[in-house]
Amino acid sequence: MSPTRLIDRLRAVVGRDALLTSPSDLLVYECDGYTIEKNTPDVVVFPTSTEQVVEVVKACHEAGVPFLPRGAGTSLAGGCLPVGGGVMIALTRMKRILEVNLRDRYAVVEAGVVNEWLSTRLRPDGYHYAPDPSSQKACTIGGNVATNSGGPHTLKYGVTVNHVMGLDFVLPDGRVAQTGGPTEDNPGYDLTGVIVGSEGTFGIATKATVRITRSPEAYRTLLGVFETVDDATSTISDIIGAGIIPGALELLDALILKAVEEAFHFGFPLDAGAVLIMEVDGLEAGLDADAERIAECARRNRAREVRRATSEAERALLWKARKQSFGAIGRLANSYCCQDGVVPRTKLPHILREITRIGEKHAIKIANVFHAGDGNIHPILLFDERDADQVKRVLAASHEILDECLNCGGSVTGEHGIGVEKIDFMPKLFTPEDLAMMLRLRSAFNPENRCSPAKMFPTAGACIEPSKAGRRAAL
Amino acid sequence: MSDTCTIDDFGPLPLRRPATVADLGETIREAAAAGQAVYPLGGGTMLGRGLPPTKPGVAVTTARLDQILDYPARDMTVTVQAGITLARLGNLLATENQRLPVEVPNASRATLGGAMAVNVSGPRRYGNGTLRDYVIGISVVNDQGHEIKAGGRVVKNVAGYDLCKLYVGSLGTLGIISQVTLKLKPRPEEHALLTLGCGAETVGPLLDLLHRSRTRPVCLELLNAAAARVVGAAAGGGLPEAPWVIVVGFEGNREAVGWQVQQLIREAPAGQGIAVNVLADTSADPLWAALGEFAAWPDARLTFQANLLPSAVAAFCLQGADADGLLVQAHAGSGIVIGHAGGDLTAERAAAMLKGRLATATAARGNLIVTRCPPSWKAALPVWGTPRDDAWLMRRVKDALDPRGLFNPGRFVV
Repeated sequence: MSPTRLIDRLRAVVGRDALLTSPSDLLVYECDGYTIEKNTPDVVVFPTSTEQVVEVVKACHEAGVPFLPRGAGTSLAGGCLPVGGGVMIALTRMKRILEVNLRDRYAVVEAGVVNEWLSTRLRPDGYHYAPDPSSQKACTIGGNVATNSGGPHTLKYGVTVNHVMGLDFVLPDGRVAQTGGPTEDNPGYDLTGVIVGSEGTFGIATKATVRITRSPEAYRTLLGVFETVDDATSTISDIIGAGIIPGALELLDALILKAVEEAFHFGFPLDAGAVLIMEVDGLEAGLDADAERIAECARRNRAREVRRATSEAERALLWKARKQSFGAIGRLANSYCCQDGVVPRTKLPHILREITRIGEKHAIKIANVFHAGDGNIHPILLFDERDADQVKRVLAASHEILDECLNCGGSVTGEHGIGVEKIDFMPKLFTPEDLAMMLRLRSAFNPENRCSPAKMFPTAGACIEPSKAGRRAAL
Repeated sequence: MSDTCTIDDFGPLPLRRPATVADLGETIREAAAAGQAVYPLGGGTMLGRGLPPTKPGVAVTTARLDQILDYPARDMTVTVQAGITLARLGNLLATENQRLPVEVPNASRATLGGAMAVNVSGPRRYGNGTLRDYVIGISVVNDQGHEIKAGGRVVKNVAGYDLCKLYVGSLGTLGIISQVTLKLKPRPEEHALLTLGCGAETVGPLLDLLHRSRTRPVCLELLNAAAARVVGAAAGGGLPEAPWVIVVGFEGNREAVGWQVQQLIREAPAGQGIAVNVLADTSADPLWAALGEFAAWPDARLTFQANLLPSAVAAFCLQGADADGLLVQAHAGSGIVIGHAGGDLTAERAAAMLKGRLATATAARGNLIVTRCPPSWKAALPVWGTPRDDAWLMRRVKDALDPRGLFNPGRFVV
């Protein structure tokens, strides 16, 4: 099939106003939140139903053209980078909340539903959708399924896979599977569980049945101010060691504090080494006791000050500051690369010292804001992407940080995914046998590797004919 | 111990007990080379699950692979070999005031690997989830005899496919779990159980009320009188004499548990013959334990498990349970109903009893499986329930990971 004929066929499926081909339109789709590598797709389509996705996929399948799904493009590891071009299937027009069942505690949503919409819809009834990535105002639940997204509240409530019960899933040959469902413990393999986090390499989720969670009755949100990052991380260990599972435990270091303060004027102390946002939630009863124990942990670790949000408005502002801290980074540098590593919680002091050392070594400023309770670090490397040498140094520093996470017994990604960014780490994390097993599993879903090619796994030789070379990171 | 084992009257099969992962791999390679099947087992407590084997082969137990490899308690994770018993694991974690909050019957014999393969769960699943929520790393000896791994040792990790999810509940059909890393929880400061006795007409409204309660139970159990008698006897008392008994469990800090107990008493409708009783702290331990063990009631001739929408539990349980002489336990908040039949049941009567229930369960977006019965009945019973629409994709997964059909042939849905 010629490219023109494929485009004609796609246009017939989705309609004239749901297909982009002009270079200027495609530019928006050349990357996601990982901006170091770029490549435009040949076509972007915006299907509005599972049936349309099926027809698009079948057309690509028959034409032998690679394709990939895209939600809001907030991925930070290049998960939606159209390596080699091809057809991008944007799910953002599939945005209906199809069913909410409070009694049985599930909701059915289309893949393009924005994460926060679901919680907004549920809030008046006292429920919410628990996974809350920082990008929740923009990111889609379909994208969350692909990356198994986390967020600040996952320490207590779990990540996406703990909340997805079933999927409508289009395989790369156009066949549709309905996995799982609104009931638990269905007989057979947990296909839903293994599809979540497969980063679009198995196929395309068009609908998800998700668990909905009772909202906490009350919160206690504390801000601990510390002279040093070490004191803050020791506090984290002590809180968890005391048997308390906070709703969230977020660390912000001095550099990020400065940016956030300039943006939001929360009143963060600019001379502090780090602050911890510590939140317990649940029933009103017993919450003060937990909050007091947490405050005690902080004071024992030389907290200069422990503040408590005294109103819902104060709490909301604190969380706004945390969740939009990435936006505030624009005040520090014109580009940034947000890394995503994990270490055992007790290794946090060590890894943060290493990050400082590595930053100094490569002359790259690094800010830290992360989910401390999970040991999930997010060093943010600041640079100017117009300066090729800086780009190189950012990549080198990133790799050194991630290598150190591995040395600590951790992982190179806690919630962003492997995408294209971290493919080189896969052989460090896994043996050839491990990787072969994963590829065997992929072959059950995506035998021709036509859906999201060149993602997650190192490829032996080129398997796709690139229609566009794009910019790949040169290391 | 004997050197053979029988599974569902199939056998005797030679029983291998490798003490190292290398030996386990070698055993698998030898069986594969000889064209034989491999039947994995742990402590053998749930060996009756599934259909009878269909191909000669060897049984392999992981019971000797039982080492504790790493327990960094401050990180709240533990890495163990899969043959460790749940009792030994539980004792280890208790030394650090931690736990894996998943109840597994016969914990002194049941192994972690076996519990994962079967996806065992208990009453606390309503508040604490199931094994899939706790397994963060796994090693499996695959069809080529290689130990492969997925996940890792940190609580948050999305590198590579999450094979942990695939192996939990796969009944040993994709390989033999050799090593597991779990994330753990602190033991709660306090816990309590409330028991409510009521009549049949009140079960549905009461479950609806508990669902809307301001309290946040971690368990919501429903028992009929026959089941309550057995569970109560095992617990040394504590359950009311009533046509139906609801047990509500709370865990948390002292203030939270205390408040919830009082709150639930306030919320329970006055009159209507509802009797409320409270068991706090250690006095509740025997009943928690008995509720967790009852799924494996040894006197059952037939045991089935239905998974339903939680809102469908009351109607499903009330439908002829007493007339059929069933002992019924439901993890009502999670939509799981377990039914036991004892006595002089026949295969024909069992089939008749299950037919309508399977249809009801399937209509309630769920299913029904048989977890225990005489092997000779299995051909006549819906052991794995109604085939699911995604069975073809499961088959593709099985073919990709075990192309020669080495592991547990004939026993699972695929």
